[in-house]
Amino acid sequence: MNRREWLKNMSVLAVGAIAGPSLLAVFDAHAASQKPGTKPQFLNPAQYTLVGAVADIMIPRTDTPGAVDAGVPLFIDQMFFAAYTKEEQTRYVTAMAAFDKAGGKPFLQLDEAQRKALVTKLHTEALAAPKGTTPAPAADFVMMSKKLTMMGFFLSQPGCTQVLQYAPVPGAWHGDIPLKDAGNGKAWAVETSLKI
Amino acid sequence: MEKNTYDAIVVGTGISGGWAAKELTEKGLKTLVLDRGPMVKHGDYPTAMKNPWELPYGDEPTQADIARWPKHTRPSFYGITQSTKHWFADDIDNPYEETKPFDWFRGYHVGGRSLMWGRQSYRLSPMDFEANGKEGVGVDWPIRYEDLAPWYDKVEHFIGVSGNADHLAQLPDGDFLPPMDLNCVEKDFQSKLDGKFNRKLIIGRTANLSAPLKHDQSPQRGTCQYRNLCMRGCPYGGYFSSNSSTLPSAERTGNMTMVTNAIVYELIYDNDKGKATGVRVLDAETGHQTEYFAKVIFMCASTFGTAQILLNSTSTRFPNGFGNDSGELGHNIMDHLFGTGARAMVDGHEDRYYSGRRPNGFYIPRYRNVGTDKQKYLRGFGFQGGAGRQDWTRLVQEQLLGADLKQAAEAPGPWYVSMMGFGEMLPSHKNFVTLDRNHKDKYGLPILNFDAAHQENELMMSKAIIEDAVEMLTAAGYRDVGSFSMKANVGAGIHEMGTARMGRDPKTSVLNGWNQMHACKNVYVTDGSAMASSGCQNPSLTYMALTARAANHAVEELKRGNV
Repeated sequence: MNRREWLKNMSVLAVGAIAGPSLLAVFDAHAASQKPGTKPQFLNPAQYTLVGAVADIMIPRTDTPGAVDAGVPLFIDQMFFAAYTKEEQTRYVTAMAAFDKAGGKPFLQLDEAQRKALVTKLHTEALAAPKGTTPAPAADFVMMSKKLTMMGFFLSQPGCTQVLQYAPVPGAWHGDIPLKDAGNGKAWAVETSLKI
Repeated sequence: MEKNTYDAIVVGTGISGGWAAKELTEKGLKTLVLDRGPMVKHGDYPTAMKNPWELPYGDEPTQADIARWPKHTRPSFYGITQSTKHWFADDIDNPYEETKPFDWFRGYHVGGRSLMWGRQSYRLSPMDFEANGKEGVGVDWPIRYEDLAPWYDKVEHFIGVSGNADHLAQLPDGDFLPPMDLNCVEKDFQSKLDGKFNRKLIIGRTANLSAPLKHDQSPQRGTCQYRNLCMRGCPYGGYFSSNSSTLPSAERTGNMTMVTNAIVYELIYDNDKGKATGVRVLDAETGHQTEYFAKVIFMCASTFGTAQILLNSTSTRFPNGFGNDSGELGHNIMDHLFGTGARAMVDGHEDRYYSGRRPNGFYIPRYRNVGTDKQKYLRGFGFQGGAGRQDWTRLVQEQLLGADLKQAAEAPGPWYVSMMGFGEMLPSHKNFVTLDRNHKDKYGLPILNFDAAHQENELMMSKAIIEDAVEMLTAAGYRDVGSFSMKANVGAGIHEMGTARMGRDPKTSVLNGWNQMHACKNVYVTDGSAMASSGCQNPSLTYMALTARAANHAVEELKRGNV
């Protein structure tokens, strides 16, 4: 008997005479009510386009997919829609407005080189902010967007499997091996989280 | 009445209840097993096979989740994620009061917290069973290490514990499956601790199958696949839970009847017989009330679950709670000091890495007040930790964007090492839980109010944990050594115990040396509430051993007609 058959057998073992609904049913109902959206629900179309353009600068398509390919803009929208607080929502939207003014004209009207230059400048400014302080809003937007883009990308399938390496079922643990023998030698995808 | 009558009743299906169910049914008792929550059969783990990208919201809790679990989302806890939140009791429906803040993290479903536990499995040592008596703290344990050793053997053999034989008096070896490897930095730290401090760093002992079990009683259990997603439930049966292990064994005997959504709210006492005759149960879904009867009752509802039921079971014989002649029921709450430690960066070793995700770390067993070491505080602590290579989050603060950022993320980061202390908490009558009869939950049952805090010995030890961690990492030559201290209340260790302690004297304890109530011999309490002291070792293995031993005793006593 293989494993699948075993599990099947186990789950049909009649456990007890009296049984209410299983936790699995409760889980399914709850999961359905919390299914993330497939279209933006927090950002308006203009904001969504801007976030996508910034995410594309953070992690562009190279010989591997980029942030936009990996669905990062929708990830960011859903994080603000469901996971973050009202204060965090306000902080992001306010910072985005400041960012959109920082380049002299609206960000999306800048050419590619100007966009990159602005993001790079504000990124440097954000990194220079003293530890424990929040950078000025435009720079804060760049830093928040960097974190969100990285989170969305490195938890995505392309991020995990094409940029990092991912083993869904490693099957073994080798605690101390040469880097070159650890799969393809790239960093392992891990589950992690970041505070914006 | 007849159809509701069994030989034994087990209240709860977690670490302890699963063992009681298995042992009692295997010894031929027709056993009713009750759980207050819904059924979870082995394999019913809805998120177990999900990849990171299949979990919404980066696996973080939503605002709706935080509103539903205001206590379970406190900083000391990590369980409310999209992949594991369904295992935790809803704080809105299951309130408790905090005269002093208390972190109470609960799972109300079949298997209880055996599904989500940390799996670290350590024996208490002879020193731990002797300490109370020698130091005049709390009450002397009515048993010694030798009484429990064969039961530790039995439990380890059955559940499968991966570990190394380390020959340490303060941490007895057991019947182990092969140890998991340390990585290169952990080995480096091990040799430096040994050389500079004569302290041992060992691989954690964990209830994950590093090799097949040495018996054929659990065919549903496969070896660990090194996914490190244990908390979601393991469809491979790679770690021990009641669902994957003890309950299937109980089921196979044909002697178990399980009733779920069955909230036991009271034990029934018969004055004439001088015994408990059964339990009163409320159906969590319908509110329907039922009485079940048995010759012997095992309370395994978890430390505070059991305390709540016993405190709620009043009668002319037990006006202050069932079995509470001593006034100690609900008192002597213990947990482990939790949430403080230190971390550091480690240079070099760039050509070494690991593969697989080890569901385990290293352990530095207690060395304080051991042998010739003497401290101003009593008892001691151990450290649990691990080393690894930093992930992509390190690049947030780097001057990297675009293709450069992507490329940098491909390489494993520098090595770090991190460790956290688990410290022993002394039993004190001043740390207690009471039943607030003026405040009821949605079932109409009075809720618990916690009044427990760390006292002088714990505060001294907390400071020592940080100092020692920093000292060891610094002496090892690591850089950027920094301590951490998260906001953690009593309870944050999720090692709560002590509310119905064992002891020799009925005047000062609730249970005797067989986990039997002094005042009512056919009631056994074998969850964490039985503990007379906490040690600093993760306690679940001890609950299992105590339960197996008590179940054996109960069956013998039934045969002799003594209960």
